[in-house]
Amino acid sequence: MTSTTPTPVSAVGRPQPSATRAGRGTRRRVRKDLLRSRIAAWSAVVVIGAFGLLPVYWLLATALSTPESTFQFPPKLIPTDLTLGNFTALAENDQLIKYMINSLIVASITAVLSVIVATYMGYSFSKFRYRGRRSLMHLVLASQMFPQALLLVTLYTVFSSFGMLNTYTALVLSFTTFTMPLCVWMLKGIFDTVPDALLEAASIDGASRWRTLHSIVAPLAAPGMIAAGLFAFVRGWNDFIFALTLADKEKQTLPPGLVSTYIGEFQTAWPQLMAASLVVSVPVIVAFMFLQRYLVGGMTAGSVKS
Amino acid sequence: MTTSGISRRGALRMLGIGALGAAGAGVLGACAPSGAGSPSNGGDPKSKNFDFTSWSLNEEAAKPSIEKIIAAWEKAQKSTIRAVSYPYNEYLSQLTLKLGGGETTGAVHLDIAWLAAMAQMGRLADLGPVAGKGGYTDVALKSGTYDGTQYGLPWNTGSIGVIANAHLLEKAGIQKHPTTVEEFEAALRELKGLGGGVVPYAAATKVAQLKDIFPWMQTFGCKLLDGGKVTIGDDASVDAVTWYKKLHDDKLIAADVDRFDARALFGQGKAAFYDDAIIGKGVTSAQSKDKTLADAMQPMERPVLKAGDTPQALLWGGVIAIVKGKGQDAATEFALHTTTDRATTSEYFAARALPPSTTAGLAAPEVAKDTFTTEWTRKITRTATGSPFWQFAQNAQIEEAVAKQVQAVLVGKSKPKDAMKQAGEEAAALIKR
Repeated sequence: MTSTTPTPVSAVGRPQPSATRAGRGTRRRVRKDLLRSRIAAWSAVVVIGAFGLLPVYWLLATALSTPESTFQFPPKLIPTDLTLGNFTALAENDQLIKYMINSLIVASITAVLSVIVATYMGYSFSKFRYRGRRSLMHLVLASQMFPQALLLVTLYTVFSSFGMLNTYTALVLSFTTFTMPLCVWMLKGIFDTVPDALLEAASIDGASRWRTLHSIVAPLAAPGMIAAGLFAFVRGWNDFIFALTLADKEKQTLPPGLVSTYIGEFQTAWPQLMAASLVVSVPVIVAFMFLQRYLVGGMTAGSVKS
Repeated sequence: MTTSGISRRGALRMLGIGALGAAGAGVLGACAPSGAGSPSNGGDPKSKNFDFTSWSLNEEAAKPSIEKIIAAWEKAQKSTIRAVSYPYNEYLSQLTLKLGGGETTGAVHLDIAWLAAMAQMGRLADLGPVAGKGGYTDVALKSGTYDGTQYGLPWNTGSIGVIANAHLLEKAGIQKHPTTVEEFEAALRELKGLGGGVVPYAAATKVAQLKDIFPWMQTFGCKLLDGGKVTIGDDASVDAVTWYKKLHDDKLIAADVDRFDARALFGQGKAAFYDDAIIGKGVTSAQSKDKTLADAMQPMERPVLKAGDTPQALLWGGVIAIVKGKGQDAATEFALHTTTDRATTSEYFAARALPPSTTAGLAAPEVAKDTFTTEWTRKITRTATGSPFWQFAQNAQIEEAVAKQVQAVLVGKSKPKDAMKQAGEEAAALIKR
């Protein structure tokens, strides 16, 4: 015979005291874990943020400092002698404005040229099948493997032989040499994501291959082309050694221009250099603000195949 | 069946790419400009127009006075000088490339440390016959000489020596400059007693500037290079580094100091001694809030190991060299005028505080009344010598190799004897390249 103890009606649906304690303990543990992970996450954000933003802050603080306070030892995190003189001095420096115009010309043409050439090359690699295609693709990539210094000597000799030194053409061609391989691979990845059925449909509708690329594929690949262009622009904007070697003062761009102007044999005009660096970063920052969604989209396009 | 990740086709492709790369590198190497090619750029040596290349043409402090010299020459000679400039830190590499490629012509401003490397390219003219007309001091003439040939006309001749802060020395009760290493160390200990974060000697301790230890090694008797053999690693160099380490451990010198830090410390009255070129006075006092500092800066003979030894200092300065070929004759005359014309050198001295290289220039009233310059010339430049490593293209690498070993000693990672042995071996290997 078995007997069962009936559960009191009042106890039904109510947690047992021990179960309540256990539940509270679990909740507390969960809350603690949550807090810990939040602290860890925020700490990581603060550290990474500081890592990224402190140099920018330091750049700004130095740009607003007088030369005397720049060299204070130990350095002060918050500058006391603030001045805008370093910025106003920039506007009076015609040579810097000339460097900036040169940078805009050279970087813009590099971006456009890189995108145009890379579009055709990337499309060819993506949508056509011919002997040597893969080898050519790898060869394009292999050109990135040469040390730049080695290419500098060679390019210098070539441009010198053709009388092209101290010209925008020399700068644009040399910058394009470095930007093109990555642009080609980036755009090839984007063209790979365009379904072949779309090209076949265009063909059935009577579009030539030329028309298909320009009217159908290119608009679809526009974000990638913008991303490639932005990459090429930044590369052209930032280059130092080629711009210094292949161009004279009349055609030099900002990076060598800034170094020439502010970094001397005996001292560096840090506050002015920082102010100038801040000002010349503005065009790139503005371009990024408007085009960053294309950049991210363009860089990742083609990374996952459907 | 094996499942190797690399197919035969893939391997062949990679091999093809590798071969192409190697062939490409070969072709590129062959395309590189050769320094040993034609000794002249092929232009007309009699041309009145020429280029003048100088890093100073970029620099705010120097540019106006050099442009004035150029403008005066152009007006007087009815010629055109094309001014060319590269940043100081990139100057040597740019010049090597462009001199080798034949683009650089005319007159070229050179740091005396670069003269040997440039002369070895075989494109510089022998200025021996012209130098005799200049009235240069012996030490200045020597700074423009390589392998017995006068390749450069000295423009400014100075040295890198020790600068003292008279205010701090007085505060510490030090009546006269220490003359021996022992006295120097005792003075540093007195200065340390001042407290207030004073670094008695803002000596270089960062790799970028640790080549400053060479004169100390020479003070202890190391020749650095003797008959083509690197002597770093000998007892004298070990003694010098052991002493430097002692200063470091006793906090008489500070960690992580380069020339910029030393100037900042000195400028704020936190260092009593530091090493700099003669121009350091202007640079350091300009960035100091203490307007009396300039008057308190005194050139000091580097202390010697024992009384009677020669104080060591590194020669420092600039020369003007002439590239064979286009505009060679006019550029030579321009170089001679710029470096010797009394009015020109005096005006340049007034603008830049760089001492002239001629006896007449140094005797000019504008220069002679500048006590700091005359004292510096008498106490430091007089016995200064060039680095024996300047003759090697690998000079910068040699300096870095030694500096890294000295720093390893300072941070306690290596013993002086082992470090100097290693430094000597590395320097010797670099020279053999």
